[in-house]
Order: sequence, then structure tokens, then C-alpha cells
Amino acid sequence: MARMFGSSPKEQAELLKDQGNSYFKKDKLGAAIEAYTQAITLCPKVPAYWTNRALCHKKRNEWHQVENDCLKALDLDNSLTKAHYMLGLALLERRQYHEATKHLEKALDLGRGATGSSYMVEEIWQELAKARYVEWVAEASNRQRQQRELKDYLFGLLKQDYENKLKQAYEKSGAATEHVQPGYRDDSNDIIDLTNDEGVMSALQNAYFPAMELQSTPEERRKAEVSQLTEEFQKRVQTMEEVFDKAGAPDRPGEVPDYLCCQISMDIFRDPVITPSGVTYERAVLMEHLQKVGKFDPLTRATLHPDQVAPNLAIKEAVQTFLSHNGWAYKT
Amino acid sequence: MSSSGYGQKEKVLSRIAANRLQKELTEWQVNAPCGFKHKVTDSLQRWIIEVHGAPNTLYEGEQFHLQVDFPEHYPMEAPQVIFMQVPPMHPHIYSNGHICLDILYDSWSPAMTVSSICISILSMLSSSTVKARPPDDDRYVRNCRNGRSPKETRWWFHDDKV
Repeated sequence: MARMFGSSPKEQAELLKDQGNSYFKKDKLGAAIEAYTQAITLCPKVPAYWTNRALCHKKRNEWHQVENDCLKALDLDNSLTKAHYMLGLALLERRQYHEATKHLEKALDLGRGATGSSYMVEEIWQELAKARYVEWVAEASNRQRQQRELKDYLFGLLKQDYENKLKQAYEKSGAATEHVQPGYRDDSNDIIDLTNDEGVMSALQNAYFPAMELQSTPEERRKAEVSQLTEEFQKRVQTMEEVFDKAGAPDRPGEVPDYLCCQISMDIFRDPVITPSGVTYERAVLMEHLQKVGKFDPLTRATLHPDQVAPNLAIKEAVQTFLSHNGWAYKT
Repeated sequence: MSSSGYGQKEKVLSRIAANRLQKELTEWQVNAPCGFKHKVTDSLQRWIIEVHGAPNTLYEGEQFHLQVDFPEHYPMEAPQVIFMQVPPMHPHIYSNGHICLDILYDSWSPAMTVSSICISILSMLSSSTVKARPPDDDRYVRNCRNGRSPKETRWWFHDDKV
């Protein structure tokens, strides 16, 4: 270590950090970690020392240390994009998806709109998307299982109900009598004496066929009743299928709407920016275009300079809402 | 095929390029531009597209093939688009398949797609009033014999009245 007579701990620590940085660049991670550790010992309140050391540990896949250093750094300053990002990665390693995505989300938020070399939105997005997708797969399959179970159960109940009614209809026709039993109201099932099968059947029958011809034979009435019961059963099953189909729709992969996608990358927006022409693009992609292709709006060809774009917050919100309901769209 | 020499920089597609091409292909499959057919190959980087001359134009009933090669940094760079043998007789299309069309070179924009290129080419064909080669066809084709890509040509665009 260089001898540093006469300098304050602060200056010494900065010097050590510089040494660490140059070791890091030469891929001497052990030496870099040592330098940062000394800097931290001298000045533990400088977040950059912690995040730089975390970066070294990250390169060595020492995730436990990455986590500790990032937590320390975030204690000092909670707005450090890199610390949230690396902490997210460390938590992913431990399969703490929920906590990990919280930090990656935070990193993404902080990273949006940044410029130059610190722009790491795409990198963060990729990791976040992977984690969110894993989370979604687990949640979606859980929901699907629950819904399937409930659906099977309800189908069983409907079927049982249908079979009971059929059975009653047949029993009724076997002991067919034409006269209508007195003493019950046919518009309400609850007051029917359930011990009286014949009464129930008549009640059902009258409920379903209030205008039935009195001259019809018991055989005809039974047939009509059975077909009525069958139709009703099928309709209920169909409605149930439709309801469950709708309930399961968000968990089935579909299309991301065009208005949530950049026309150049054709991918869902991460950091949307709007041009004076009113067109929205992915920031990094548009900047690359302005740098490599030309200073014009890719769609309208109007002259465009990088400082003329502004974040499109409404689209950013729309994307977040869409993703929160359609986790499959995280698949990249 | 006149084109085998052009793939000088056969670099693999960047992640962004591959991602975008995959999406263009999916979109093409559900909504292909009218008069075009993508011939399935195992390569995302080279598309072969069948072109049918539009009805009531000089090219009605004729069929051509476009070869589209995508650079590593597509769509920040234009794809290379040429007609395979035999190219349509057209004042902006050379007998080696090279197409004089500004959007393929100087006027490229990353917001354009294979579909929009196809539509431009078909419209160029459809508006033609004469079946002829460009006046400098011989000279140009001779200059390209070493397998030069049309993207290396310094195009002096013909007027767009034809």
C-alpha cells in the first residue's frame, strides 16, 4: 500500500478507492476488495466504497457479500441504482423472488432517464423480467390449479343436481297421476314438502311448464320435462365454462398491444420517451438511432435532437398496469 | 443466384435484431403484405420472399423473388434487399438484382420493416410505365462483378416519377 503521510482519512480513503478501481479494471478482484475494505475502514459512510466492493464480490459470485455490502450502501443512500440492482441479483440467487423484484423495480425506476454510461435500464429490465416471469409462472399455475379444482367441483354439483331431478322425473312418471296435489305454491320451491316426491316433481314441472296442456299424457310430460332439464343443465355447464374461461384469460399468454410497444424494438416499453412529433419510443433505442442513423424522428422524419425528447409517464404507467395483470408479457 | 458473394459480414444478429426479426416474422405470419409470401427457411437472418406482380400493372401474373439479408445491428442499419434471378424489367432495377430505392440506403429509418419495404418495392413496380433496364445497367453490373453489395454503392437516385 502506498504511504500516505499527512493526508486526512478522507483523502486516504479516496486514494484507496482509486487503487481499488484500477485493480478492478485489471481484473485483480482480491486486491481491489482489499483496497475498498481499507477505504471502508477509514470512511465507512461513503456508499461508493460499499457498492464498488459489492461489484467485485458480484464478479466473484460471492452473493452473500454482495447482499451485505449493498444493504450497507442503501442504508447510507437509498437512491443508489446499482446497489438496488446488485441487491436484487443477490436475492434472486437465494430465490427470494418477491424481495428481489422489489429492488430491481426500484433500480429500474431510479435508472430511467439517466444518461450516458450509467444508463443500465435494459440490463436491469432483463433481470427483472426474468424474475417476474418466474414469479408469474408459479402464481399462474397455482391459480389455474385452484380454478380447475373449483370448476370440477361445481360441475360435479351441477351434474348431481341434474341426475337427481332426472331420477325424480322418472319416478314421477312411473307413479304417474294426472291430478295436481293441492297445498303448495308452484312458484316457490322452498315451501314444498320434500318428503313428498310427487309433490316436488309436480312443483318442478309446473314451474317449468306453467302453460302445459292438461290433456298431455304422463309420458309426454315426462319427455318434455327431461329435455327441459337436460337443456337447463347444458346451459349451466356452458355458462360455467364461459365464466371460468374469462377468469383464466389473464393467465394465458397473448399479445402485448401495439401502443405499449416501441415501433423500433417492437418490444414492450421499459423507459418510454415522446418526441415533439408525438411518437413514443424506447429511450435507449431512439438514442442509438439519433447517434447512428441520423438526427430525425424515425417515423415522421422531422428533425430531432436528443434533448427534445421527454419521458412519457402515461405510457410508463400503462405498461406497469398491463404487466401487473399479464405477467406472461415479462417473457423476453 | 447472383447473390452468394454479398454476405461478406455474416455476423450473428444482435439480441435486439434477433428479437425484432422474430416479432416481424410473427406479425408477417398473421398479417403478410398483400402479394408477398415468405418462404420458410431456417434462417432468421436471410429471408426469401416471393413477390407477385399486382393486377392491372405491367407485372401482372409475373413472379419474382427477393432476398433480404439482415445486418448484425438491424434495424439501426438497413437490410440488404435484392432481387434473385430473374429480376423484373424495371428502370430502377439492375439485371444483377440490385434495386435503386432510397429507403434501402440513405433514407432508411429503423421504424421501417420488411413489410413496409415490400410495399415500397411493389409500389415501385406498380407505378412503372415501361419495362426496361436502367440506362447504366451494363456499367453498373460490370462494376459489381466482384460481389459488391448494393449497400456499398453510392446511389444517385433516379427520380421517383417512374
